[in-house]
Amino acid sequence: MKTTGFVMLLVCSALLLAIGQNSGDSGARSTLLALEHAWDQALERRDVKALAAIFDNSLVYVDFDGKLLTKADYLARVKSNTIPMDQIVAEQMSVQMFGDTAIVVGTYRVKGVENGKPYLRRGRFTDTWIFTAGHWMCVASEATPILH
Amino acid sequence: MWKPFYVFLVLLTPLRLGAQNKVQLDAEQARILSLENAWDRAVKQKDAAALQMLLAPELVYVDYDGKLMDKAEYLSSVQSRALHPERIVSESMNVHVYAAAAVATGVYRESGERNGKPYMLRERFTDTWVRRGASWMCVSSNSTLINQ
Repeated sequence: MKTTGFVMLLVCSALLLAIGQNSGDSGARSTLLALEHAWDQALERRDVKALAAIFDNSLVYVDFDGKLLTKADYLARVKSNTIPMDQIVAEQMSVQMFGDTAIVVGTYRVKGVENGKPYLRRGRFTDTWIFTAGHWMCVASEATPILH
Repeated sequence: MWKPFYVFLVLLTPLRLGAQNKVQLDAEQARILSLENAWDRAVKQKDAAALQMLLAPELVYVDYDGKLMDKAEYLSSVQSRALHPERIVSESMNVHVYAAAAVATGVYRESGERNGKPYMLRERFTDTWVRRGASWMCVSSNSTLINQ
């Protein structure tokens, strides 16, 4: 409960930052980076409520294995704990603004234990955010393993 | 010559702005699908002029191996003499249209020869398009290999 509250606070702070700001300014970039970090923390804590607040209902999510997920699929997967992960870190993020649309590209590292074996996965992601009704909402996300 | 001209015509198809009804949305979705197909043709034919019209200068492109490219790097990769795509098909495509952006997802199949050896790719992609005046341009594209 405590962690859920903490992540929700992060998400709410990011959402509040977004209210009233011009979507094209540097404040929007900070908000988007804060939302990306809130996403990681919510994922680590399996905080489905916080994640639901970040994603638009139209979310399309492409996982590292090429599987296409809807928002409901993604949240169900997080909730079911089918892919245990201990730590997720996003790094080298950059934000490109196109009015009320933003693209965040970055790399991520995920550590966890799957079928009793530890794993470390490294990938690159592209997230598409739309500013709607005073909030930035993620509408698309794709993760790709870095093979080189 | 007809190829860039075809893309030019697709890009200049008049937009119907204002309150979006289903018919308008369908028209925009169809337009994005046409642009996706035009992109496939341009890659197969190594048509840099057509690609120039489809892709925004700010393009961020994440290839199936996680490599990050800008527009110039992507155009250069398409023009590679070592690469000879023979068949390119995008299928199972879906488009979500937002106010000034659209997200297209689908499955991309490419086969041909690279460095004299046959290759075959099957990827899931997410492309984000933004309105630029009377046309749409792709600002981000991310592909991930589909694991069977």
